Amino acid sequence: MNRRGWRFLRGRHPRRRAARTVPVGSRSPLLFLFLAIPVAYLLALVAFPVAYNVLMSLQDVNLGNIADLLRPFAGLDNYRAVMADPEFRKVFLNSLMFVGSNVVAQVGIGLAVALFFSQRFPWSQGLRGLLLAAWMLPALVVGALWKWLFATEYGVVNFVLIGLRLVPAPIHWLSDPSLSLASVTIANIWFGTPFSMILLSAAVAGIPLEPYEAAALDGAGPLQRFRYITLPALRPALLAVACLVTIYTMRAFDLIFAMTGGGPLDSSNVLPLFSYQFTFQQFSFGIGAAIGSFAFVIVFGVALLYVSTLKREATE
Amino acid sequence: MMPRRLLLRRNWVLSAAGVAGTAIYLFPIYWMFISGLKTPAEIFANPPTLIPLHPSLAAYDYVFMRENVLRYMRNSLSIALPVTLLTVAMGAMGGYALSRLRSRLVDLALLVILLLQVFPEALLATPMFIIFKLLGLLNTFAAVILATTSKTLAFALIVLRPMFRQVPIELEEASMVDGCNRFQTFRRIVLPIMQIPLIVVGALSFVQAYGEFVYPLTLLSRQELQPATVGIYSFVGAEYADWHRVMAFSSVFVLPVLVLFLLLQRRIVAGLTAGALK
Repeated sequence: MNRRGWRFLRGRHPRRRAARTVPVGSRSPLLFLFLAIPVAYLLALVAFPVAYNVLMSLQDVNLGNIADLLRPFAGLDNYRAVMADPEFRKVFLNSLMFVGSNVVAQVGIGLAVALFFSQRFPWSQGLRGLLLAAWMLPALVVGALWKWLFATEYGVVNFVLIGLRLVPAPIHWLSDPSLSLASVTIANIWFGTPFSMILLSAAVAGIPLEPYEAAALDGAGPLQRFRYITLPALRPALLAVACLVTIYTMRAFDLIFAMTGGGPLDSSNVLPLFSYQFTFQQFSFGIGAAIGSFAFVIVFGVALLYVSTLKREATE
Repeated sequence: MMPRRLLLRRNWVLSAAGVAGTAIYLFPIYWMFISGLKTPAEIFANPPTLIPLHPSLAAYDYVFMRENVLRYMRNSLSIALPVTLLTVAMGAMGGYALSRLRSRLVDLALLVILLLQVFPEALLATPMFIIFKLLGLLNTFAAVILATTSKTLAFALIVLRPMFRQVPIELEEASMVDGCNRFQTFRRIVLPIMQIPLIVVGALSFVQAYGEFVYPLTLLSRQELQPATVGIYSFVGAEYADWHRVMAFSSVFVLPVLVLFLLLQRRIVAGLTAGALK
């Protein structure tokens, strides 16, 4: 009997349902073609550029040989030059601070807001969805907008702070090197938190209710219920969202580029922007690529962690 | 159990807190729209006015007439619409294949896709520049479209795979019993069922491509080809900026995104939660 006939029969005999582990066309050539097209696209336009970047970081690249594949091998010279640069250390620490604060704030605030909206009250779903509007804006526009909000002379943030008598004089949010990184971090937290919140809302909605009922009977207070039921139940989701925030925040470029350009004195610079400036403003391609490699290692490590949390969740 | 009257009161307190919090959170967007409606005198007023006292379209007039905001928008759309089509087409094929194939190869492909979505595009800009220079595509929309699709495609595949899984296999079996081949089944049965998820993924891809900045900045040096993101940047990059004009420009630029968002809000929320954690 041909395969199609088999399927037909199986569908009619409930007893044989259990045998149905191989679904229809699980080896169809068309499906392999369907899979090959996007995967080939991603290999050509993501994997190849990544590999090319790593290659460039090991070569002596200048404006003359930029279009060649074979260039003088430079060994680890570019990496040595990068490591010796005190600016690089500063920017590397900036990146860690920027990403770290974003992860903590976006996951923390995101969870608090998700829990708030998980209490069903009139308009809770609509309001929660509305928050996502900020996340939909182009990052460059968010940067421009926050540059205006943070403007020293006429920015609304300084007006509010002075009006509430919280500060005596206008704060130089973007031009003070000790504040610029905090300013771009605040803007990015505003921008990214709705996404974390929406993902965590889904996880909160998936927590079963029975343990809460049992805990309430046993006399557990709200804090205990949060500590012993909500948090453990959300642990995989929190880890996955923290990974995603890390990946998305490591990518931040447009927002910082628009707000401060990484300045003043690289005080708000991060790895991708620093690398881009070396490549496209100073034409030090090898150095730019070597800086990129450091960022690659970080995002790739976090991506592996993310994939493993997804795997674990899928098997649990 | 709380008495019903108390419960109702608690609900309205929560609603009021929710409305207040949402309003404060979204205030910057409101500020963007009203800043564009202010006159130069009012934008530098102390204290700032929450509602423009003398609303004026002068800033809009300026960005439409002098800054060519329409040309920038047309360029943004010329990039974002093809990216959306390419992403949805390849995303539908790949998402369908990922949901139906059972083989080691598929697990590997999924891993590759998950890992390839994480690289910051600012770091891929140099190789992209070299690739498109070799292909002779610098200063063409095609280069930006192809580069940007590499960013939207991985996301589309990840979101679409679990959604394709929900299409009952029985429907496909029935269609194939009726004599359709696999491609016909895909086109006539599966795609129509998946219409709404594909629209959501298309909308999200559109929003990403519409706001793309790094690739056009790198791959397009001719001003008449640049999209609105690059246009806004050339406005705010300087130390001093005409904020009412920048905000008018930004307001015009984000309007399509916000309209799309308001139309699809519920479905976008559902789509995001389905994809990223599964």
